[in-house]
Amino acid sequence: MLGLKKFLFRSSAQAHLPDDVRASLDLWRASKAPPLDDVHFQTRYVVVDIVSSGTNPENDRLLGIAACAVWKGAIQPDDTFYVDFSTLDGEGSTVDRELMAFLLFAAKAPLVTYHVPYVGGFLQRAFKERLGVDFQPQWIDLAWLLPSMFDDKGDSIMPMDHWIDVFGLDAGGGRRDAMANTLLLARIFQMMTVRSVSKQIDTAAHLLAESRASSFLRRTH
Amino acid sequence: MTTQQQAGQEKEQAVGQVEMSLRQDGRARMASNTQAFLRNHAPFNKMQPDALQLFADKAKIVFYAAGSEIVGPDSGKVRYFYLIESGKVQARQAGEVTVTEYSILSLGAGESFPIGAVTAGRPSTNVYKAVEDTFCYQLPAEDFLVLLASSPEFNLFCTRYIASLLDQSRCQLQLQFAQRASEQQTLNSPLVGIGSRTPITVSPETPLRAALETMSRAGVGSLVIAGEDRKAVGVFTRTDLLDRVVLAELPLSAPVNQAMSPLPFMLAEHATAYDAMYAMATHGIRHVLVTDAEGKLTGVVSERDLFSLQRVGLRQIRQSIDGAHNVEALQQAAADVRQLAFNMLAQGVGAEQLTQFISALNDALTRRVIQLNLEKHNFDGIEWGWLAFGSEGRDEQTFSTDQDNGIVFVPPVGATVDALKQRFLAYALDVNNDLDRCGFPLCKGNIMASNPQWCLTLDEWKDQFATWIRTPQPDALLNATIFFDFRALYGKAELADAMRRHLLSLTASSPMFLRAMAKNALDVEPPLGKIRDFLTDLEPGKPGKIDLKKYGSRIFVDVARIYAMASGVHNTNSIQRLRLAAQRLSIRSDEIDAVLEGLNFIQLLRLQHQYLEGEPGTQGDNLIDPDTLNELDRRILKESFRQARKIQTRLKLDYQVQ
Repeated sequence: MLGLKKFLFRSSAQAHLPDDVRASLDLWRASKAPPLDDVHFQTRYVVVDIVSSGTNPENDRLLGIAACAVWKGAIQPDDTFYVDFSTLDGEGSTVDRELMAFLLFAAKAPLVTYHVPYVGGFLQRAFKERLGVDFQPQWIDLAWLLPSMFDDKGDSIMPMDHWIDVFGLDAGGGRRDAMANTLLLARIFQMMTVRSVSKQIDTAAHLLAESRASSFLRRTH
Repeated sequence: MTTQQQAGQEKEQAVGQVEMSLRQDGRARMASNTQAFLRNHAPFNKMQPDALQLFADKAKIVFYAAGSEIVGPDSGKVRYFYLIESGKVQARQAGEVTVTEYSILSLGAGESFPIGAVTAGRPSTNVYKAVEDTFCYQLPAEDFLVLLASSPEFNLFCTRYIASLLDQSRCQLQLQFAQRASEQQTLNSPLVGIGSRTPITVSPETPLRAALETMSRAGVGSLVIAGEDRKAVGVFTRTDLLDRVVLAELPLSAPVNQAMSPLPFMLAEHATAYDAMYAMATHGIRHVLVTDAEGKLTGVVSERDLFSLQRVGLRQIRQSIDGAHNVEALQQAAADVRQLAFNMLAQGVGAEQLTQFISALNDALTRRVIQLNLEKHNFDGIEWGWLAFGSEGRDEQTFSTDQDNGIVFVPPVGATVDALKQRFLAYALDVNNDLDRCGFPLCKGNIMASNPQWCLTLDEWKDQFATWIRTPQPDALLNATIFFDFRALYGKAELADAMRRHLLSLTASSPMFLRAMAKNALDVEPPLGKIRDFLTDLEPGKPGKIDLKKYGSRIFVDVARIYAMASGVHNTNSIQRLRLAAQRLSIRSDEIDAVLEGLNFIQLLRLQHQYLEGEPGTQGDNLIDPDTLNELDRRILKESFRQARKIQTRLKLDYQVQ
């Protein structure tokens, strides 16, 4: 019954999609996720941050996505992504296309962010409502991982600015835009992968396991 | 292919195009993030927008944990140009174990590497290692080469690293001083801020004798005659003394108002300096009284006050020096020299020209003091010369240079050397004291012509030089660093020439002496840290400071002296010595240019420091706190010290000093 509902929901959401989006979606669904057992250097991670109208993924609006890829040991300027929905007012097929474009960009790579319930929550709802996609990527949550990787620098969940301070990163004055935030997260992620290797966490799979374990442990203990 | 399939493909492209365009948006955002960093660092802040865009579009961001190697000879042909965003990188020369100590340097935010290797497309000769957690922008070599070809600023930076930074520093300095200069008065400023605020006044009934005593005590040439209501009724000047007192045979008991010039020219406080200058020119007067709204005296503006408002000119100073008839007039000229030097510093004149200029005017001043004292001492028929030593001898005077001088003379046949020497000593004592009054402090080490040790006959000087060279004891070597930089300032220049020829013939045949000098010169190293940028604790009791003379300019000066003696260069100026010696010893000219730029920058910093921190009339020091320098100047200073280390290394190899 539940499966049927899900199926119906998806097909109804998909029904209004433009043909090209639907075709891309089919291709994306059929595509294989990259392997997770390569070393960090060989793995393409996508660091992502969002802009929203509030903090509640159920009611507030997703206004933008900023993402950049980290692989071959570098933040790659030609592998970045930025979309701003705020001016579109949820307008029709443009949003669908742009969301679809993000799926193509991310290409099922493991996603890195700070505080998955927030970022993931907004993305999940948007993809469900617009594209009928149950968006369940491989999340790496720095909010949980950092205290476990850098227990010498902070041992509990802390605001991202704490880590920016701890690592002495130059966050610039005033408000940061989403891309600046993503790039800061990407730098922190680069530092963290170096640290993780010294703890024998040297592949994406290990990192994902550690991310889940750390969030589970902290939530339950 | 069916039409349906074709349509599917076209539509698919639509999403693909959107993805492409959103990727471009992402790249543009990242590039603007990178540009924000570039804009704060030389040379990028001077580069054209399209060049910056190219860099920002292509630069990746990479992280190196403390302790990891970034690039080295083993990495093969260099593939990236690195710009440090944060952290610290140590460069260490690979191989050549004997000189490694000399070739470690540390790079910080805004600095880049390995410029030479990436330009030449060869492996790096240095090992670059992160000593702190470090982020770098990493520009692929092919994009680096495009940038090198398309951006003249970037090209200059890569090919003439230190020179391009210096240019920028000079511009910054000009900006900084332009602000100061505009705060300074101009001919448009109101008289309220110009000239003396406390003019010497006496009442009209004051007897002439008392008025003259007041003038003499205060050391002024004029008096304002004012009533108790502080309204001026007249002016009394030295000219009046001659015309209206002496020639008019007025008794000194007469009241001053009988001798004064009545109805003095007055201007209100809000009138401008230009008004005052115009009044002086049209009325042929030298003073203008300044009054408030009620007509009460508030100040006096003299011709000299206005003169110093205009950028004091070299020619005027020369004239006032050459025309001076006493030490007082020379004291004023010395103050003018200082003011002019400041203005030149503000206009961004380089250290080489500035120090030579200060030396030229100081020479003129000193010569005038020497001449004035000859009026009381007569050495007609005797060959003699006044010698300048040390920085004065090298034409490298800064604002705070004490006296280093001596006398050379040739006793006429039949004259007693001792009696003649006593006469020269008495004369030299007067000169030394007068120079002191003109702002050249007496030498603490008593290296002065009034010291019998340094008032010698030509033969005695030659013997003295020979003794030092034959027995290079520590004292002799120290003396060599002062006395071998001599120059004739007054009198028979041939005597100094004879001393020089003698000296060079001695040193040419004494390799042991030069080697001892080289060893001595290598005792002090530039204060470059292996991890920190600078070592700031070398001077006991002065934590956080670097002595720019001891650990900076002196290193260059010492090396220049040795190479000059080794290659028979007659000049005493370090820059000329290095240039000429480099030619004779076939040192590459771009190499020596970089060294000279380093020396010039250190000299410029010393001058700035002495001007900014030194109060007029007090001795400025050479101690700077590198943390107070702006980022650009810190980088240039670091590079300048590297140049010092480079010529030391060369000296070390040339003289086989271990």
